[in-house]
Order: sequence, then C-alpha cells, then structure tokens
Amino acid sequence: MKIKNRSGICLVISGSIILIALLLTIFGHGINLGLDFTGGLSMQYNLAPSLTDADEPLNASAVQNDAETALSALNVGTYSVTVQGAKNNTVNIRLKGFSLENTAPAEDGATATDSASKAEIQKLQSEFVEKIHDKYPEATSIDNVNYVGPVAGATLVRNAILSVLLASALMLIYIAIRFDLNSGLAAVFGLLHDVLIMLSFMVIFRSVIQMNSSFIAAALTIVGYSINNTIVIFDRIRENARKLPTTSCEEITNISIRESLGRTICTTVTTLITIVALCILGVASIREFALPIIVGILSGVYSANMINGYVWAFLEEKRRTRKASGKSAKAKA
Amino acid sequence: MKSGNKRAGGKTGAVIALCVLLVLTIAAGVIGVTGLKGLPPRGVNKLLSWIPTTDVDNWKVEKTDPVTGQKYFEQNKALSLGLDLRGGMYVEYIASAPEGSSANFDDLMEGTMTIIRERLTDKGYSEANVQRVGLDHIRVEIPDVQDETVLDLIGKTAEMKFLDPQGNVIMMGDQVETATYAYIEGKHQISFTLTDKGRELFATATANNIGKNIKITLDDEVLVDATVQTAITDGKGLISGSYTQEQALNTAAQIQSGALPLKLTQENYEKVSATLGQDAVSTSVRAALIGILLIMVLMIVRYRLNGLIASWALTIYTILLFLFIALFHIQLTLPGLAGVVLGIGMAVDANVIIFERFNEEIRKGRSVKAAVRAGFKNAMSAILDANITTLIAAIVLLFFGTGSIQGFAKTLLLGVVISMFTAIIVTRFLMNRFVNAGATKVSLYTKVKTEEEVEA
Repeated sequence: MKIKNRSGICLVISGSIILIALLLTIFGHGINLGLDFTGGLSMQYNLAPSLTDADEPLNASAVQNDAETALSALNVGTYSVTVQGAKNNTVNIRLKGFSLENTAPAEDGATATDSASKAEIQKLQSEFVEKIHDKYPEATSIDNVNYVGPVAGATLVRNAILSVLLASALMLIYIAIRFDLNSGLAAVFGLLHDVLIMLSFMVIFRSVIQMNSSFIAAALTIVGYSINNTIVIFDRIRENARKLPTTSCEEITNISIRESLGRTICTTVTTLITIVALCILGVASIREFALPIIVGILSGVYSANMINGYVWAFLEEKRRTRKASGKSAKAKA
Repeated sequence: MKSGNKRAGGKTGAVIALCVLLVLTIAAGVIGVTGLKGLPPRGVNKLLSWIPTTDVDNWKVEKTDPVTGQKYFEQNKALSLGLDLRGGMYVEYIASAPEGSSANFDDLMEGTMTIIRERLTDKGYSEANVQRVGLDHIRVEIPDVQDETVLDLIGKTAEMKFLDPQGNVIMMGDQVETATYAYIEGKHQISFTLTDKGRELFATATANNIGKNIKITLDDEVLVDATVQTAITDGKGLISGSYTQEQALNTAAQIQSGALPLKLTQENYEKVSATLGQDAVSTSVRAALIGILLIMVLMIVRYRLNGLIASWALTIYTILLFLFIALFHIQLTLPGLAGVVLGIGMAVDANVIIFERFNEEIRKGRSVKAAVRAGFKNAMSAILDANITTLIAAIVLLFFGTGSIQGFAKTLLLGVVISMFTAIIVTRFLMNRFVNAGATKVSLYTKVKTEEEVEA
C-alpha cells in the first residue's frame, strides 16, 4: 500500500466540518445542551404501566402531543418531551427554564428553600398527572427526577475547558521531553482537532444527541486514547529518523504510517467492537457517552494517519532550513 | 543430544507452568462470576464474589429500615455501585457563611459536613456519602432511598435558641448535651439534658421569669412556648408537641448534631429509579461479554497462537480489574462501567503493538525465540509513551471531575495500569513458556511467506 501526503485536502475537509458547525452555532442551532449544562428540571412518567408485551404500542406522536398540551396548560416555560419505552408509554419531560429561585421565593432565607423546592417539584408532578389523567388514567410519576440549578452548568463548562487545556498542556510537555517539541505540537494539534470534530458532531447531530456532563468524560477519554495512535506513529518516526538520517521528513512519515498500519487497524477494530456493542445494547444515557467516543475514535485514527505526522514533517523541515540558513549565515560571517 | 535433553527438561517445566496458570485463571474466573454460593458474603468470601453476573438481583439484598419499617435494598456483593446504577437520591448544596462570620471557611465546611454525616448515620443511612465539591458545594448521595423527607433532615440549619420573655437569647443549642427521642404518656417527645454551663444559665433564667413564658426555637420555628412554674435547676427538659414518631426522631437528631455552621441552599437534586440502573448494568455487562468474545476471535484469526495468548491475558485483565475495583472500593458508576467496557477494547493495544513487531522480526527471517525478544524490546517505548499520555488524561479527570466522572477516572486509571501488567508481563511469560514448550514453528504465529513472496 502506498502512503502519500494528503494532509492538505484532509485539513480542508476537517476545517469545513468545523466551519459548518461554527456557522450553525452562530445562527442559533448550536449544541443541544442537556440539563447538566442548562439547569432545569427533568421528570419521567409512565402513562400506561399496565401495558404488557402482547399489547399494541401507543401512537408515539399522539403521546407526544398529549403531553405537550398538558404542559402548555401548566404554564411552565420552555419544555421538551421525548417518548420512550418499547410501548411508547414513557415520557421524559425537560423544563429548561425551571428554576426554584424563580418559582419558589424563600420566605425567610435559606431555611425555607429546601422544603419549598421539594413541595414545588411535587406540586408540578401531581399537576401534570392531573392534566393528563383524562386520557391516561393510569399515568404515574417514575422515581426519576433531576433538578439542576442555574449555576451548576457554568461551573461544568469552565471545568470542562480547563481540563482539556490542562491535559493538552501536560501532554505537550511530556511528548516534548520524550520526543521533541515539534512532535508535541503536532500531537496536541491533532488532539484539539479530535475534540473540535467531536463538538462539531454534537452540533450537526443536535436532534439526535444532547450534551451532558458525561460528554466531558468522553472528550477526556478521547484526549487520552486517540493520542495513542499518534504516539505509536511518532514512535516509528523517531526510530526511522535515526535509521534514515538523509531521508526527508515527509518520506519518513509515509514509511512510519505504513509500518504502523497493521497495528492501527487492529486496535481501532478491537476498540470499536466494545464501544459499538455498548452503543447498540446500552440505555439512552450510555449512548450519550458512547456515541461521542465512537466519533472521537474515528477522528483520532483519521488525524493520526492523515494529518499529525505531516504537521510534524512541516514543522521539522522548517526548523532544519532555519538551522541550515543560520549555519550558512554563520559560515559566511 | 545434550541440548535436546535440556530442551526436553525445559519443556516439562513450561507445560506445567502453563497448566497451573490455566487452572488458576479458570478457577478465579468461575469464582468471580458465580461467587461462592451458599457461604455468607463476609470476609474472604465477600472478596471472592467480585465479578458482576448479568443477574442484577444477585447484587442486592433486601433489608428493613429499623426506624421507619421501610424496605430497602443493600448491596450484597463486594462491588459498590454508584447512585446512577443503584438508584437513590443526591442533592447538591451551595454553602454560604453567615453574615459577619470571620471563621475559617474550610473549617466551617468540615463542620457542616460532619454534622450532615452524623444526621444521616443517626437515621441509619450509613452508606450515604457526603462530599465537598469545589469551593463551596456540598454533595450528598444517599443510595437506595427514594423518600424525599430525608432532605428535610440534612439540609436544615437547625439553629436552636432558648429565648426569655423579652425575646433575648438565653443560650444557644450548643449548650444541649444530649437530645433523645422519648415516648411518654402516649406522645412522641424529645427529652434533652443541658451542659453544666447551660444548666446554670437555664436555672437563672427560669428563676427570674417565674410565671412568664420561655421559648425554645429551632430555625425560628417555636418548639416550646411554656410558662415557667418553678426554677429548673436539674438541666433537663422535655419538648412535646404534636409530633409523629418520625418528626420527633428527626428533630432529636438535628438538636443532637447541633446547628450547621453554614447556610445551605439547594442547587441540584436528583432522584434515580433503581430499575433504570439495573438496565444499564445488565446491558453493559452483555456488551462487555460480546465485545470480549469478538475481540478474542479477531485476535486469534489475525495472530494465531499469539492471539490465543492475548485472549488469555485479556481474561486475566478482566478478572484483575474487577478484583481491584472491589479491593479499592471504587464505586462503579454509569460512565465508569462504560469505561470498563471501553478499556477491554483498549487493553489489547499493547499486545497488538508487540505482535506486529514480532511479525516484522519473523519476516526478517528471525527464529520465533529471537522474534519474541526483539518484538518486546522494539514495542516497549511505544507502549510506555502511549499509556503515560492516557494516564495524564485520567489524572486530570480525577482532579476536575465530580461525582460519577471521578468514578470513571478511577476505572480508567486502574485499567491502564493493569493492562500494562497483563499485556507486557503476563504476555511475555506466556509467550516464553509456549516457546519453551516447543511451539517454535513460525506457521503457528503468522502466515509463512514463500521465498518468492518475500522477494516480491
């Protein structure tokens, strides 16, 4: 198999994906932020608990409509309803605007907040059951309630950005020590590329997947694992550069990528096997975590084989010419 | 002839070593999956029942709350499950210092958390977890509990005041030595005793105010508003109201544990049903099993005998991972479980790097024995560098992550360290034994290329 430098066209492709995501975000179709980031209240109801496997499933869009009608009558601000379950009998309701500070002003300071908030949530739960009672007499609230205050999301975003930057910085230092500075820069370039592609995926597929705190874990996993592909290739480059001191950096990169290809394919397949199995079999909250990881792994393989090595070659050639011109300048002087 | 004998001797040793390890692996695996049924889950037996079965009911045992009589589930196995997998509640509070307080905020946080812990333990929620998050957040996790009245118990400031008729403070709740629940004359009451200093203060106050009303308040709610008949000098008292048994118990616990030094505002609140978590566990375990089998098939098809060795090492990896999760009491959370499953796919990476290098050496015409040595030597730097960068990410997650993400970071960390052990040390041990046992034919390991193919 012949390996050629196609990093130019690859950078254009990645750049376009990121640009599309950026434009979507600017025009108001950004990442579908989950409750962990926006704050609000989520609750679940089983509208027909007595349905068995033998029964016909409910009509999903009818269920959705009924739930939305009930919610709009409750006057709770922005809401979204997802219909779940094999029989379409479970509804998951998210109220992004719901904040206890607005709905339940504490009468005498902090002490009243706890019981007030509890009462507020319970009141809302029973009101919804009441509203939907005519159509679904068996509707019950499932013990799955999640309330996130408005401050938590901001802390989460700050921590997420900080942790990706800190991890990148530490890896840059480590790789710069073990390899050279240009390898470190190229590897971190690839790493940020992968995280940006993951974020772009979250923007482009906003109707399918929403972003919750587990995305941070997914992103950091990719930061940790996808760099393995780059490291293995750079390890070959380090070895081949010593063996073939006169060959150009680009050619060394080509050779190294080809030599690592067997490992790259095998490890990518074994890693994807488990995470894809998890994604197919898993529950919704696991899928929220598994899907970005799959995207990150694919992006990691892509950047390691198509981009990162050539970024190193580009930087390294520049350094060498600079060094050479420096030397010749010295020689002239 | 002589060297032949020597090889034969090494052969017996290698075969014995392989058999012993095989028996050990199978035994550990079987015990891990089934547990030692019929024996009480205590001590060593508890440690031995670490591996999850797909039957999630096996993970829990039903218990009855001694106070309320409510039934709840307690874990039976050594694996500790996070709230998102077990079901339960968690609350996050923002703590703020009372106005004009000059005390060290960290000390106040510690004090607040200790009191919350006491209140929970008093109520029998010994598995509850109270954790400081960031600068001023306190996170309380109570597994298996769905009853929201617990929140009243932990979040209340519980500032107790004794007030004279003019509304002046005689003393605060810190002068109460003990407060216990009492059932007297068919009523649920709280009986308390005062400290020495409290007794004096209370005696003076009651002596000065005979015929007038003295109040005891808790968080500005009046508990007692009684007319003083005589001076009370023994430092004892009863608080009786129209309490239910539970209210009386809770109030006694709050008075006993004292006032929280910080004001708490509820920030997050989550109630997780137990069934959702069980679904997550059983599907993840199934995904892991399918994943392991497919990986083994792939490795054996591609690397033949080496693939078999990698499968063996992967089995040991899985057993060790769960053993250490149990030993270190790492809580398995939803992302943590996903991390375990993901880690299984990553664990063979070091094997793959080694085997690819091994095959290269074979292609160069080396013997199997020489290729094993050279393969490991050449692969080592890539394996080390790749794993250390992953460790860096895991450590950053451990410091910045909260709640379930920390659980994920710990399993990730553990997975990297154990996979280095199994993929390097265990694999090298196995490969050398197989070579010594006589498995030196190249075709056992990789496709043998004919002369023409090599030249082409």
